[in-house]
Amino acid sequence: MKSEIKLTILKLLKFIIVLMIIDFGLGFIAKEVFFSQKTGKFHRTTYAIKKSKDDILIFGSSHAHRHYVPEVVERQLSLSCYNAGAEGQQLLFHRALQKMIFKRITPKIIILNIDENFLFKSDIAFERLSDLHPYYSDYKSELHPILRLNSSMIDFKMLFKSYQTNSTLVHVIKYYLKPQQDYKGYRPLFDETTANKIESLEKREPLKEYEEVIDDIFVNTLVDFIEEAQAKKIKVVFVTSPNLILRDITKNESLLKIKEIAKSKEVIFIDFLNSPNYLNKYNLFHDASHLNDKGAKLFTSSVSKIIKSSI
Amino acid sequence: MLFNSIDFIFFLPIVFFLYWSLVKKLKFQNLLLLISSYVFYGWWDYRFLALILTSTLVDYCVGIQLNRSSNKAIKKKWLLLSVIFNIGVLGFFKYYNFFIETFTSLILSLGFSIHSSWTLNIILPVGISFYTFQTLSYTIDIYNEKIKPTKNFIGFAAFVSFFPQLVAGPIERASNLLPQILNSRKYTYQNLSNGIKLTIFGFFLKLVIADRAAIYVNAVYNNIENHDGLSFLVATLFFSFQIYGDFAGYSLIAIGVAKMFGIDLMTNFNRPYFAASIGEFWQRWHISLSTWFRDYVYIPLGGNRTKKWRWLFNLFITFLISGLWHGANWTFVIWGALNGIYLIIEALFKKRNKRGLLSIFVTFILINFAWIFFRADNIDNAFKIITKIFTKPGNLYIGSGDDITASLYTVLAISILLIIEVKKEFFNGLFSISNNRIEFVRLIGYSCLIFIILYLGVFGESQFIYFQF
Repeated sequence: MKSEIKLTILKLLKFIIVLMIIDFGLGFIAKEVFFSQKTGKFHRTTYAIKKSKDDILIFGSSHAHRHYVPEVVERQLSLSCYNAGAEGQQLLFHRALQKMIFKRITPKIIILNIDENFLFKSDIAFERLSDLHPYYSDYKSELHPILRLNSSMIDFKMLFKSYQTNSTLVHVIKYYLKPQQDYKGYRPLFDETTANKIESLEKREPLKEYEEVIDDIFVNTLVDFIEEAQAKKIKVVFVTSPNLILRDITKNESLLKIKEIAKSKEVIFIDFLNSPNYLNKYNLFHDASHLNDKGAKLFTSSVSKIIKSSI
Repeated sequence: MLFNSIDFIFFLPIVFFLYWSLVKKLKFQNLLLLISSYVFYGWWDYRFLALILTSTLVDYCVGIQLNRSSNKAIKKKWLLLSVIFNIGVLGFFKYYNFFIETFTSLILSLGFSIHSSWTLNIILPVGISFYTFQTLSYTIDIYNEKIKPTKNFIGFAAFVSFFPQLVAGPIERASNLLPQILNSRKYTYQNLSNGIKLTIFGFFLKLVIADRAAIYVNAVYNNIENHDGLSFLVATLFFSFQIYGDFAGYSLIAIGVAKMFGIDLMTNFNRPYFAASIGEFWQRWHISLSTWFRDYVYIPLGGNRTKKWRWLFNLFITFLISGLWHGANWTFVIWGALNGIYLIIEALFKKRNKRGLLSIFVTFILINFAWIFFRADNIDNAFKIITKIFTKPGNLYIGSGDDITASLYTVLAISILLIIEVKKEFFNGLFSISNNRIEFVRLIGYSCLIFIILYLGVFGESQFIYFQF
């Protein structure tokens, strides 16, 4: 028995050492490969965190990413701008991104494109936080409180270097083989939608990514987003993107709460949700909720003018 | 408690250390096994521990009574008590609402009006299908005088609730597991090493294959109206790997963990998708359940030593019940029936079991077709899916937001699995990493497998599919 225990300890030690070396070595390579990306969503996030020195930063989901043309903002406001919008991401991600960026720079203005359902309970908002894992070792204090919300095992998982770049390999290969061009974070959509396309899409059951109950975690995150920026004397602007089809959002509790928070924190709130300039203008939209390049330029110009007049 | 949870990461080493420190006192070792198994189970819902304990008590007593009496009629009564109790408990918790709803629908379809409020809000106790079958096999085997009952209650209770296989099998036979629990175990490094290896591969199957494939499968199967035939074809193909990764993964972890405690559980999966016939598939898939049904349903019905029509009927009935065992839904019944029909056709027309790539492929396709019923939420949806596959191929859904990357991970993960399994199935004599004579090669091999799990795995702490059965 004693000799078996001795043998076990010896063999386990060997295994742990080899495992650590493999994890460190391959994990290091995986991380280098990850940060060597020249285009794609991870490249844009990395750029925003580690390189951008712009005066204006835009945060938000695909609506931010596809609707704000930095070139237009720069021309109208004479300030440099970067679009840090991330497709499919929600408040927790934007807050994490903001914290990491603030560690290095203090922009003059930050624009948060508001999705009206931002404050509703959503599991996906937590699940998609895994996109932040590669940055964990460099921004532990910023990311830990947010990533902990998604997994109680986060400390344990992050012990492994290879886990930090989990599920990034295919992205790297994809963008290496087919680079994804962007214009300071903005990626235009060029197609125009039609009434027929919208009608056929409406027949399909919508995918619901949230439950219509206000989540306090998101409320606090939004408040933190504002307060940290304001503490650094950064102007915070909330903007809602336009809809193609008129929607009744008067009873949307999430949006009402966001407006209430914005008011109490004296945040500029620019509301384009049911703007008549965009309603039923199929030539400005790529699909029911995303503007095409033409629409994005018009929208960015309108937002910039309002910001210019209010600062 | 889930194997892929933080709780288990702490639970396992603590129990392991305590267990082997009690090596000289078998009684205490078994008591520890029992307590830790109850903690493992109670972590999910402690209220249902009473159910396991009752089941254990009933079958323990029935076992002793069966041995005491030499009167066949009395023995039969005791066995009947065990069967009625176990099937009754299983029937109530798992099938009560199903039968009530079916009955109500039947009455309504016949034109009668019925205002039923008979359905109950019943929670299905995790693993009930597994441990009731395990204890049933104990009393049946005693009745058939294949084994002797034990008077050691702690040992018997540990056999019923042995935590590695309590909630999703393998469904152990008393003749295999009970003697191992009742006799002293010796700690060996080899057991620990083999246990860790199996556990690592189990996690690979669960986290890299099953949970990865589940992303696409759920996106398609949970939104039937939004997807076309081509997407269902791919989703069904992915599901076949999801369910294999999930269940074979769980089984391997269970076998691996049990091995760490010096206990050998039976093999539950043997690369089933390389089966060249449906019959062979069922010798390779969920072996512990297939053999259970063979020994306790098929053979008692007469097996194949009877008239041909009766033999085919026995086959069909066995698979029908097996389908129902999987879940209280007509989809499972049809899935079981379909497998039964496959086997009948095979029995009628197949002359020889010729192993070839074509027969492997055909078997795989047939099994995949049956999985549609297994995965669909209801029969209507299953038929909608089949109709779409055959009549409306349409567009292929590639991933959320038209992002193909998530789907490519699934393809990558399945490719890795296929490389490993093809090598094991067809080229086993060639270079081996897991059994390499050079220790360094083995260490690097398993470290790389852990790297793949960490680099490509999905870490959502999701439940194993078979927990619901």
